[in-house]
Amino acid sequence: MMDDNATARFKRRLLKIAHQVGLLLAMVIICLPGIWIMLTSLRPPVEIMAKPPVWIPQEINLDAYVAMFSGVGKGGIPVLEYFRNSLIISVTSTVIAIAIGMAGGYAFARFRFRGKSGLFLGLMLTRTVPGIALSLPLFFVYARLGIIDTHFGLILAYVALNIPFTIWLIDGFFRQVPKDLAEAAQIDGCTRWQAFWQVEFPLAGPGIASSAIFAFLTSWNEFALASQLTRSVNSKTLPVGLLDYTAEFTIDWRGMCALAVVMIIPALTLTFIVQKHLVSGLTSGAVKG
Amino acid sequence: MRNLISGASAGAILLCLAGGAVAADLPGKFEGVTIDAKLIGGQQYEALYARIPEWEKATGAKVNVISKKSHFELDKEIKSDMASGNTSWCVGSNHSSFAPIYEGLYTDLTPLLPKEEIDAFVPANIAASTVGGKLVMLPRAQFDVSALYYQKSLYADEAKKKAYKEKYGEDLVPPDTWDEVTKQAEFFAAPPNFYGTQFAGKDEGIVGRFYEMLVAEGGEYLDKDGQPAFNSDAGVRALDWFVNLYKAKAVPAGTTNYVWDDLGAGFASGTIAINLDWPGWAGFFNDPKSSKVAGNVGVKVQPKGSSGKRTGWSGHHGFSVTENCANKEAAASLVWFLTNEDSQKLEAAAGPLPTRTAVWAWDLEQAKSDPYKSEVLAAFQEAAKHAFPVAQTPAWTEISNAIFPELQAAIVGDKTSKEALDAAAAKATEIIKQF
Amino acid sequence: MRPRRLSAPVLLLLPAFIVLAAVVLVPLLLSLYSSFTPFRLTRPATFFTFIWFDNYISIFASRDFWWAFGRTVLLLTVALNLEMLLGLGLAMLVEKASRGQRLLRTLMMFPMMFSPILVGFQFKFMFNDNVGVVNNALQSLGLSNSAIPWLIDGGLAFFAISAAEIWSSTSVFAILILAGLLAMPKEPIEAARVDGCTPWQTFRYVTWPFVMPFAYIAMTIRSLDVARAYDIVKIMTDGGPAGRTELLWTLISRTAYGDARMGLANAMAYVSIILSIVFTVYFFRKLAAARVQIGAEW
Repeated sequence: MMDDNATARFKRRLLKIAHQVGLLLAMVIICLPGIWIMLTSLRPPVEIMAKPPVWIPQEINLDAYVAMFSGVGKGGIPVLEYFRNSLIISVTSTVIAIAIGMAGGYAFARFRFRGKSGLFLGLMLTRTVPGIALSLPLFFVYARLGIIDTHFGLILAYVALNIPFTIWLIDGFFRQVPKDLAEAAQIDGCTRWQAFWQVEFPLAGPGIASSAIFAFLTSWNEFALASQLTRSVNSKTLPVGLLDYTAEFTIDWRGMCALAVVMIIPALTLTFIVQKHLVSGLTSGAVKG
Repeated sequence: MRNLISGASAGAILLCLAGGAVAADLPGKFEGVTIDAKLIGGQQYEALYARIPEWEKATGAKVNVISKKSHFELDKEIKSDMASGNTSWCVGSNHSSFAPIYEGLYTDLTPLLPKEEIDAFVPANIAASTVGGKLVMLPRAQFDVSALYYQKSLYADEAKKKAYKEKYGEDLVPPDTWDEVTKQAEFFAAPPNFYGTQFAGKDEGIVGRFYEMLVAEGGEYLDKDGQPAFNSDAGVRALDWFVNLYKAKAVPAGTTNYVWDDLGAGFASGTIAINLDWPGWAGFFNDPKSSKVAGNVGVKVQPKGSSGKRTGWSGHHGFSVTENCANKEAAASLVWFLTNEDSQKLEAAAGPLPTRTAVWAWDLEQAKSDPYKSEVLAAFQEAAKHAFPVAQTPAWTEISNAIFPELQAAIVGDKTSKEALDAAAAKATEIIKQF
Repeated sequence: MRPRRLSAPVLLLLPAFIVLAAVVLVPLLLSLYSSFTPFRLTRPATFFTFIWFDNYISIFASRDFWWAFGRTVLLLTVALNLEMLLGLGLAMLVEKASRGQRLLRTLMMFPMMFSPILVGFQFKFMFNDNVGVVNNALQSLGLSNSAIPWLIDGGLAFFAISAAEIWSSTSVFAILILAGLLAMPKEPIEAARVDGCTPWQTFRYVTWPFVMPFAYIAMTIRSLDVARAYDIVKIMTDGGPAGRTELLWTLISRTAYGDARMGLANAMAYVSIILSIVFTVYFFRKLAAARVQIGAEW
């Protein structure tokens, strides 16, 4: 009896150590290339691609960041404008895509109607068209409508880009919410609308949070469409701005890395804020409710 | 958009009333005119645009920058504009290697500008800006031709000098022919820690390098009927230069995947002896913050091929005026302003090479106190004398895209040089048929 | 009640369809049309020459195209499966962690925050044979005394590209699967433990069936999210050397803008859609089957 207990405890501890080692290893692999980019932005270029390699930075400075903000012509780029554009476009398109996705996902999860699976599949098939086949015709249409180089144009494109995913995802999570919960709420005197907001919506939180993160990061980093549909500081986003650090025969890799770090900060912040909603799902909800 | 166009056309009417005698006194007066411009963006290029308000003040016109992008993105955008018929904007950044591709987009600048202004540019640059008899762009001070960078210390090393003399019976001095480059590269190479030289190995880079080597070997890229002629003996000799260095491991094995950023990083790391490269890297290579070889960099005119001709694939940026521009006079004035002496001095002071004769002289004068900069400028001025543009055909990019995989195939040993060039010529012939 | 019920889904789906019709459908028709023309961007008049199936015929005869097609299928299959396995592992590791959940969840998505362009440059420089970090590390550790040509050798280049792609996209699987895990009711797992199931059995028969639909959704999303990999491959090798790493995406985009032959490029794009449709339908059926298995109504 004692022995059994001891081995079990030993086994459990071993498992726990293995788990922590695995977790540490995974995080190191995930973070290393990114941290390397951050370090690159802080080191003089001579140390970055050196041979023999310089593993431990000898000198850390903020030159690249100072240059970035020091204005056009002095090694700077219009980073504030790019930042503003990126933020407006990504946030707006994410919010709209989530709203539309919630409506659509709810429809698929809760209603029966004709041609449902066909529609559901067809939604995703709109995304099978390679971007390259879309980019020029989209440019044609946008040029006719006069929405090239506007926030609106890019927001519209990103909403369309993200809708199929958000619908699929949110549908998946609404399905996990037992139907009886909403029905019970309705029996208790709630309207369908109230039942949705007070019972089903909180329970589908993880789905909405994960698709929001996904949609935001997709828009934040999207390059191909942005490079086709934006032109000037009126609407150019950060990924397009990265190329400001390249000239025909030269590249300022350190500057690019510095801009990448600037790009990551809001993404990290937003993800950190949103990720807590990943858990407020069924378990906690069902206990309370 | 519509407002802008009508604004510009109102300006055109005004101009007609004022009469056509404006061209003589640049920059002229263009009260109320708005010029839509698409400019190449990026750190290196944008300092010049700070001068635009000066032109606006002098002329009374307004410049509306509707696009600012990197070179290749801008190329994509201009092609999209041509495809959708949105070409009523006025001024566009252009490049001598791309100019022939934009068939019919840009207007001839000769009638819009006084002759003495055009004559003030380096004649070779004006020739390279002329497509089918039309001067389609005015060159800015962003001229590119490659010269030879090398590590000075290697040539001062007595042991190396002696060993080289014993092996080849020649003195070890910075090379003047591509044959010497080959020998020295093989001599210096000690993989994986040190390599003799390196070359651009993909996309337009390898095509350009092959093209200039072909010319230096006495060959022709396209014959006078516009048919591919690079699969000649000279072509095989040119391609063999790359193949043999690769086989001898005198270049890094990854070189077939290198473009300019990898090459610059390689030479700056101090692991490459000799490097044919662009003027844009001169400052980077000699800055201790960015380069291990700072203080040890020599620059020399690019070597000769077996025909006695030097390599010299070159290109330059410039500005063009569209055929559909509502106010060509004003647009031409802006283009002139962005490439005039003051503008070129501003750009040349930061490193890039000028395209006006007078600015070259000024630039050399300025560099007098700086021995490295003087050496760089002297080498590049000499290099510019031997410079030549790419073959002027609208099919240049498409041919390049078709043949670079073939050149790579020969270098990495999938095909012999002759096989690769024949296959490339066959593809190029097919492409030219469509034009 | 009945008529209202019928119109509700229509109403709910309407915004989605309006946006998709505007942004996808109209351009789609235009590009489909242009795939039947010799449309060259720099010669707009060619848009109006109709040549029927000439573009398609020349594609079917093109060896380069089919090689690129095959390579793309291979890359997608390898990368997607590995990403799913790694993503699943990562999600479970993070879900089990008792402390620092918030930080871990955020860090888990770290790679997704880098623009693909930057990922391309970063991995290109890392795998540089001369001064790259990977070779430097191998040589410093004494594991190799030669410069491994990562981006030159066909197999190694495939590995390097897959590594970049897997690094940047495993997070997508991890986050979606993690969301699924977190939404999972705890009772069945408790019940399984009480019944004496081993951890593997619990995973195989309780957790996995529940998480599977999310994994398939992630698969579908990733198999279609081609733009991301395009930027990476374009910068790392641009299909080279000698076409050894040419993928559909690099080939099509070079044809479209570099060569300006938009008509031909669109035809290629439409042939490659077949690939996407096959992948999508396959995963959709898997998804539907997975749902039947856990007793959800379809």
